[in-house]
Amino acid sequence: MNEADYKELKKGGMMRQKEAGLFSVRLHVVGGQLTAGQLRAIEEAADRFGRGTVHLTSRQGVEIPFVPTDSLAALKEFLSRSGVGVGVCGPTVRTVTACQGCRVCPSGAIDSPALADAVDRQFYGKPVPHKFKVGISGCANNCIKAEENDIGIKGFVQPRWSGNACTFCNISEAVCPTKVVRIPEDSGSVEAVDLAGCIGCGDCIEACPSGAMAEESRGYQIFAGGKFGRIPSLGKKILGILRTPEEVVAAIAAVVDFFRAHGKAKERFGATLRRTGLPALEINIKERMVRNP
Amino acid sequence: MNPSLDITGDVCPMTFVKVKMALQKIAPSGQLNVMLREEALKNVISSLKAEGHKVILTERRDTVFLLEVEKNAAGA
Repeated sequence: MNEADYKELKKGGMMRQKEAGLFSVRLHVVGGQLTAGQLRAIEEAADRFGRGTVHLTSRQGVEIPFVPTDSLAALKEFLSRSGVGVGVCGPTVRTVTACQGCRVCPSGAIDSPALADAVDRQFYGKPVPHKFKVGISGCANNCIKAEENDIGIKGFVQPRWSGNACTFCNISEAVCPTKVVRIPEDSGSVEAVDLAGCIGCGDCIEACPSGAMAEESRGYQIFAGGKFGRIPSLGKKILGILRTPEEVVAAIAAVVDFFRAHGKAKERFGATLRRTGLPALEINIKERMVRNP
Repeated sequence: MNPSLDITGDVCPMTFVKVKMALQKIAPSGQLNVMLREEALKNVISSLKAEGHKVILTERRDTVFLLEVEKNAAGA
């Protein structure tokens, strides 16, 4: 087997191990969700084709290590019959990670696994200049660590203050973790929250005794250009708060195309953005989203 | 004069546990004054609201807040 063959196998999720003739086979997992049936198939596959172990990756993936070269085809065939996909590596859109979201977690503001599915369906394994990771946190608690991803998404709870219901107790100001709540002196004013600095945690709403601070809407906050690895850097907030999963998918489509147009091989998206500047990306996305709403 | 409870020396989850225990001794729609620190505000108030109690008056003395809690009418 030559280097080109190894590279092709790697793109298809078959990673060459240190020891010649062995591969660690990456599986397709979306948002960390697997059915019990898939788990049983993975168990059997690890026993039959590997050495009876699996590795849980740092981004919610599963790999079956110690698979000999001559078992790769049979393993792939077995997995596909059992409803388990094989993963990807190389310069592609990688595993989409997600928390359990609002259907399971009391803190969840958005349905992260459903959004992960939608993103995965459209982008998983698609070619890009360099590896491209998407992570989806259901709320500001950010268990998925959105800013470590090329595109990170966080559920956002937008508060709205109604002066006529307010008792001016200052509790929402006191609990706001970023101190962007400033309750006006009188009930005639309208703005009490500086949304530019708001992280959408909803603490002010939860703590407000009178109901004056209420949920205006839920949405999606987007971060671009994050990575970890050797030289970590955090993704930067882009766009405003998006309102629907469809808008998020459209924004990611625009980002991926921007990366294809401006990114260089072996360059992570954050480095591309440092060259082009964030405004170039945001203008591009907004223009596209206006053209194809 | 309402019965009062000082949880300024407690941390979560004892803050809410103590409020809950104090409310058990109070009749439906009765009132309890609670004195607590800023860190406990969000959890205590959101838990009270979730159980149908009302926080009807608040006052601040530096970093200590005084809440007047009205127990829910069901008395649960």
